[in-house]
Amino acid sequence: MNACVASFAVSCNAEDRMGVNTLQSEAKLNRFLADVEKRALRIAEINIRDRDEALDLVQDAMIKLARNYADRPEFEWTPLFYRILQNRIRDWQRRRAVRNRVMVWFGKGNEDQDYDPVAAAPDLAGRAPDEELQTQEAMQSLEGAIAKLPARQREAFMLRMFEGLDVAGTAVAMGCGEGSVKTHYSRAVHSLRETLGEHWQ
Amino acid sequence: MNERKDVTAEDEFAEKAKRLFDESVNRLDGETLSRLNRSRHAALAELDKGRAAWVRWVPATGVAAAAVMAVIVWTGVPVVDDLSAPAVVTDMEILLTEDSLEMLEDLEFYSWIELSEDTDEAQEPANNVG
Repeated sequence: MNACVASFAVSCNAEDRMGVNTLQSEAKLNRFLADVEKRALRIAEINIRDRDEALDLVQDAMIKLARNYADRPEFEWTPLFYRILQNRIRDWQRRRAVRNRVMVWFGKGNEDQDYDPVAAAPDLAGRAPDEELQTQEAMQSLEGAIAKLPARQREAFMLRMFEGLDVAGTAVAMGCGEGSVKTHYSRAVHSLRETLGEHWQ
Repeated sequence: MNERKDVTAEDEFAEKAKRLFDESVNRLDGETLSRLNRSRHAALAELDKGRAAWVRWVPATGVAAAAVMAVIVWTGVPVVDDLSAPAVVTDMEILLTEDSLEMLEDLEFYSWIELSEDTDEAQEPANNVG
């Protein structure tokens, strides 16, 4: 009889342990996603210039990370998450390019021009209007310049500069070598400085 | 000298770009933050879904193991008696053959034969004397 009670107790303990582990890993993942989600959204938005679509892409990336990579070590999450997101962004851009070609064929304009940076601009946060305007204009200029970069330079710049990934992490996120990351990043910075001009700095 | 100036300018550029980006992140509107929050919870629900599939078998497995143990403990371990088992099988073979059943019917006759053989054996030594 004792053996039977022990057997049941072992299974209950295992379940409790799993429950605690599940809660712990869920809390960790929650913290990670909460930390990364806003920057990820802005990076996606600057890439595709559409907030609603960017929100969808970020959600897809979050779900895929939770479903497939939640059991990986925490330090791998950031590059993995951005790799998923970058793949989603690339797929989205490919689909848009095809759609635009079809639209041009049927005589319709480029939908990308519908993007309204003023509507997408963040709310005022208790600043003087002229200061806020300057900040927003500077960010819009930067976003415009980033949008003109080749895709790989854009990715390298945003992951390194905005997300703060190191060269190795950026290489994982971009799916390329560290040397390529350095080259893309350096070219991106050079190109942006040239485009924005000295007055911006 | 020019190289140093360029490095400084590049650092300033990086600093300003990062600051502008961080500010734009911090000033995301409430509706966007709410949607991000919902997205995060959708992702976490996915995490639960994946685990629930095998976690729900754990208590069932535990109960089943406990039940098996209870049955074993309650009824006693089925010990196989090496000596008695073949005997039982042999008895059953004998009982199930037709000849054996006929033998059982003539049990009284066989008892009489046995008795009479015993009596003959008892008388034979006396006859041999002399």
